[in-house]
Amino acid sequence: MKALMIAIGLSVTLMGSQYTLIVSKKSDLGTLSMQQVKEIFLQKRHTVGSQRVIPLNLLGQHESRGLFEFTVLGMDREHLNNYWVKKHYEGVSPPLTQGSFESIKVFVQTVEGSIGYVPSSMVDKTVKAVYEF
Amino acid sequence: MRLHALGLSVLLAVSLHAEPYVLGQGYHVDDILNIGGYFSSDFTMQESQDTARLDDVAVMAYGDINPMFSYLVELEAVGFYSKNFTNGEESGDRKFHIERLFGDLWLSDAYNIRFGKQITPVGYWNKEPINVLRDSSSNPLYSKLLFPKFLTGIDINGFIPGMEATSYHLFGQKNRDLDQGYINIPNTHFFGLAVEKEISNDWAAGGSVGEYITAVGDQRTRYVQANVKYDDTTWQVMSEALVAKSTYAQNVDDYTLSGYAQGMYRYTPQHAFIARVEHFKDHHTQYEDNSGVLGYSYRPLYCVSLKGEYQWHSQHDENRALISFSVLF
Repeated sequence: MKALMIAIGLSVTLMGSQYTLIVSKKSDLGTLSMQQVKEIFLQKRHTVGSQRVIPLNLLGQHESRGLFEFTVLGMDREHLNNYWVKKHYEGVSPPLTQGSFESIKVFVQTVEGSIGYVPSSMVDKTVKAVYEF
Repeated sequence: MRLHALGLSVLLAVSLHAEPYVLGQGYHVDDILNIGGYFSSDFTMQESQDTARLDDVAVMAYGDINPMFSYLVELEAVGFYSKNFTNGEESGDRKFHIERLFGDLWLSDAYNIRFGKQITPVGYWNKEPINVLRDSSSNPLYSKLLFPKFLTGIDINGFIPGMEATSYHLFGQKNRDLDQGYINIPNTHFFGLAVEKEISNDWAAGGSVGEYITAVGDQRTRYVQANVKYDDTTWQVMSEALVAKSTYAQNVDDYTLSGYAQGMYRYTPQHAFIARVEHFKDHHTQYEDNSGVLGYSYRPLYCVSLKGEYQWHSQHDENRALISFSVLF
């Protein structure tokens, strides 16, 4: 798994960032560290500063989700599913999911504190970029 | 703000995708209500007796009331049914107890509040106490005898500012437990501080200090505890140790020392071998036990656990074989 993560990390480095985590343009959130993003999407962190955050995942098996889980969360899907089983006992659910990048973007524009990833080409003036991978 | 709330409600209603039921992750009714539970059963073979138990049966519900407040309630019956195959006796306690009942107030990175009956946030073992989440059927003595497993009080928690991936819990209880008959150490006073550091994807470490006074006998105990864990998804090694100083009647002081180290090798995601060694010594009661455990774990799914182990103890009458089956649903 480590070798696969290194390979994916290397390809991301060589190809440049393909995806960007976005929040509402009105959000107070600034650039996030990878550790902060990881904590948000693993539901270990519910706030950044005093801003409540709502992580959004893409539904299904899209390559962006796999890339995000490997390079940022540091887990493959199986280990992530195991992680959410443990979190179920703690009373914590996985992030909300959306069916498309377009719906992630609309959600982020509409709901304060929500944060999700879209292709970097979809980032425009209506949203704010806080992390790239 | 009202627009945001409206937007959130509409979007939650029309566009979120969630499987209503996922085995191991419960039934998702809506954001306010998730329902789940678990059970565990085991079969123990000792020199003196063989017993089978349906040990834990529990149901739980949790959810987010709003973005700032969430809750969890769990009811559990322990020792639901037991049969002793040596003398033929059957017994059971079908009464459900409040295992956990707490609310979380999410305020900021550094400052959140959990209040109510909750698991004491110390170490690793105590925070994942149920059979299905453990990698061995048995618990080390460390997890049962040294500090109250539950707290009926307040836990202030969050990330320590300026220290990445480092979190703290500052907790306190100045009252009796919510269910006095359902805690390992009934107490009237329990305060502590725990710190946890995620060093890397593989490494984590932490430690805690605390003090409690037992409800019976007014025994005051102060402890220092440390824990470390390595997990690269194939190998996992974790260890916890604690030293406690207790003051008994007539101002007699004595120490208790305990620690365990457990290694696990997952040769596939479903199959794993486990080995654990433990030392426990209570100077006051002069009880000492050194034990070793060899076990095997099979998880066809992560939330379904079939485990077997053999325990060797320096107190030889404690030697036993143990098989367990448990499910989180």
